[in-house]
Amino acid sequence: MNKLRKWSRILHRDFGYFFIGTTLIYALSGIALNHLNDWNPNYTVERKEFATQISLVKDAQLDQNVAALVKEVAPREELKKYYFPQDHYIKVFLGGGSSIVVNTQSGEGEVEFLKKRAVFYQANFLHYNPHKWWMWFSDIFAGALILLSVTSFFMVKGKHGITGRGGIYTALGFLIPILFLIYLLR
Amino acid sequence: MWVAVLFISCNPDQSKEKTTEAPVIALADFNTKAGEWVGKEVIVEGIVDHVCKHGGKRLFLVDDQGDVHVDSEKRFDDALKGSQIVVKGIVTEFRVDEAYCLQQEQDFIQKHKEGVDPDSVYNQKMEGIQYYRDSMKTAGKDHLSYYSIEYISHEEKK
Repeated sequence: MNKLRKWSRILHRDFGYFFIGTTLIYALSGIALNHLNDWNPNYTVERKEFATQISLVKDAQLDQNVAALVKEVAPREELKKYYFPQDHYIKVFLGGGSSIVVNTQSGEGEVEFLKKRAVFYQANFLHYNPHKWWMWFSDIFAGALILLSVTSFFMVKGKHGITGRGGIYTALGFLIPILFLIYLLR
Repeated sequence: MWVAVLFISCNPDQSKEKTTEAPVIALADFNTKAGEWVGKEVIVEGIVDHVCKHGGKRLFLVDDQGDVHVDSEKRFDDALKGSQIVVKGIVTEFRVDEAYCLQQEQDFIQKHKEGVDPDSVYNQKMEGIQYYRDSMKTAGKDHLSYYSIEYISHEEKK
């Protein structure tokens, strides 16, 4: 039993250290993606209204005029494409996901600047399994989480261990999802 | 070096697949012609208006004349937004009929009763059902067809 406890501690400690980074990636992206309806977890969105005198009607000058519009309202952005989603409205796509919508009659418009959220963008990218090697690595991580759970049974003996307080916490940890299941699947 | 080579060779570049053979349908004609091509491969071209933020497996392809949703089993790259692309895919049909409306109605009533949907959301959803029924009545049909594309491959146009 002492040998099992010793090895449980060693494995729990070393796997725990090794997977701190991966745990944070999945924890952060998990919170971020849980609230997709409340925010954009990948980008910050900044909107700015403007009015322009540049003509954006469909004519031979349109390409140059759209380029002039981009220079006027979003000079740091690169022009990608544009189209007319409705009569009298033009939508201009910019690099990095930003865009401009203008009422071609009134000249009033709105530019939407998207900026990648530091850390969250990268964590969410990995969360969605971008590559099969990452999939294998995250499978190993999932296996390590199981190992961390199992080794925690044997790490501590006595009243703080699995036969004491640890057991109560473990039971509560199972009980909460079971209660959710009973409530949600009734 | 070898790691880099392996990564590149294992990373499928979907945009490299040739989009040939299948008929090309203009987005302007898509809704009227798609019915003839359900279950078959077609090619469409347009600008990516947005990639769905809920999972990134759906994009909205547009041009001045029309639009279509493209669904994929894999995530689309966010960077496609605003790009002109040629998509090869299979036309799929989603039918809305009275049975669908009744089923949806039941779900909405249940969610409203359980307090999941507030009055405003519930009313909005029920208006949507009414819109389907009105549209079927106006068209003199027992169903409405909504067409989309199941993604196979794409090429980006510069």
